[in-house]
Amino acid sequence: MFDFIIAGVQAPIFLLVLTGMTVGMVGGFIGVGGGYMVTPALIVFGFPGYMASGIDVTHIAGKSVVATIRHRQLGNIDWVLGLAMVGGTMMGVEMGVRLLNYTKSIGLSGIALLTGSVGIMIGLFLYTQIETHRAQKKIQELSREGKTVGRELSTSNIPKFFQSISLFPIIRCHVARIVISMWVVVLVGIATGTLAGFFGVGGGFIRVPALVYMVGATTHIAVGTDLLEIVVSGGYGALRHFASGNVDIIAVFFMIIGAMFGAQFGSIATSFVRGPAIRYILSYSLILATVGAFLRLVYMLSAQKYEFLNFFAVVFTLGEMIFLCLFILSLVYFAVRHRHGKWVPAWIPSLVVVQ
Amino acid sequence: MAGPSKTKGTIKFVVWTAIAAALISYLWIEYYNGTLVSWYYYKAKSDGWAVNANAFKDAGKDKPAILQIGSFDKIEGLQAVPVKKGDRLPANTNGIIDKKTVDEGKRVALDGNTLKVTVPMQVKEAKGFKFKDTFKHKGIQTSEWGGAWCVGFILVLGFALGMMAEGFTDMCGLKLTKIKHYEGVH
Repeated sequence: MFDFIIAGVQAPIFLLVLTGMTVGMVGGFIGVGGGYMVTPALIVFGFPGYMASGIDVTHIAGKSVVATIRHRQLGNIDWVLGLAMVGGTMMGVEMGVRLLNYTKSIGLSGIALLTGSVGIMIGLFLYTQIETHRAQKKIQELSREGKTVGRELSTSNIPKFFQSISLFPIIRCHVARIVISMWVVVLVGIATGTLAGFFGVGGGFIRVPALVYMVGATTHIAVGTDLLEIVVSGGYGALRHFASGNVDIIAVFFMIIGAMFGAQFGSIATSFVRGPAIRYILSYSLILATVGAFLRLVYMLSAQKYEFLNFFAVVFTLGEMIFLCLFILSLVYFAVRHRHGKWVPAWIPSLVVVQ
Repeated sequence: MAGPSKTKGTIKFVVWTAIAAALISYLWIEYYNGTLVSWYYYKAKSDGWAVNANAFKDAGKDKPAILQIGSFDKIEGLQAVPVKKGDRLPANTNGIIDKKTVDEGKRVALDGNTLKVTVPMQVKEAKGFKFKDTFKHKGIQTSEWGGAWCVGFILVLGFALGMMAEGFTDMCGLKLTKIKHYEGVH
């Protein structure tokens, strides 16, 4: 047990490092900060709620730097796209926080937050699942026809609509190979930032699908570019939390040490898979987080009568981290086997790359 | 793209490991010499009494803690220092019992030159989670410059660790090359 003088709690270092590592792996792979997983974990370890949020956001900023460096090496970052989006995201976060304060002032925040997050997550989960399933089927068909299938395949036509809006200024994102109005990118930033600010999360789980399905980036580039965004938005969030006295820097330090290993593995693991594999894991993380949020919603709506609902919500959220890590590990394991011509389950070849 | 040479990778790994180690050592020293703690417990955000909440965590209605009021430079045990909003806090402070709480008299009561604490902790709830609400961190204003320094430090540490890891894989000869996003049908 380590005595965290600032937070005023005693917690095991091992658990903090492990949490940083697991969330780092998932975050490096699907491009999210993982706030919805870390905050409950820290509360379970004994940190007060406000400290848990502050430590979480600050560790996300540091971890995203680690993951961004690796994604830069893998060529997964479009700097033009990321920097064009940052301004909109920051504006959106501020709007989201104000919206949250408004709902609080009319006594709605807890339920509004949970209902909103459950609705949006289910919507995103369903769309991502259906689209990714279609993409996977198309990859299988193309492979049967003997064609070389690329790393990315998306069946969504929505990006074509957004890219056709020719509102000045137009930006050229060379890495993502997108020519798009800057206003579209800024508006996507504002929309995703507002949701992030309202829900009090980094917003990666909304921004990655938005970058893929609205802007038209490949999943790998969406992941890398989103992590770059999280460095900026997470850094700003960390500043606000520090100013509010919500951060114990030593707790952040231990989590970053774990995240360094996890984020490396998660980022490098993206080079073994195709875009749909990342989207699948992103959608599973969404639905698992939704179940946790839904259990908490029922708990709150039932006037906090059924304590077991809250308990299961925490168990579910913590279990999700382990499940997603195992999923990523198994994908990499099968990708390596596939590269060496060994047997793999039938669903694997369409999700991984041979070289 | 060919992978970088092992020699370059080794140099990169050694340099960034040294930088990361220096940063971590610096953080450790600043934490234990009290600098970071004093930045956190910096000023009073409200009028009241600066206390160390750990000293009376076991108090109760049947066993109240009696805090001696005085102008101490360092709070040791059951002591309280009167502070006004914006005052620098005495060493070892970890919370403020504000005037409003004392005036209400439900948790703490003023009794001559002493404060009588009867309810040091309440169970509250946030985002569906129950937590123990104590006087710890209450009424504390963190140093803004200290906060900015900490965020800057975390980002620099992340950068150093990221570069160190990149140097490590280069040193091991793992050829991490740029992903070809647009090869084949897409």
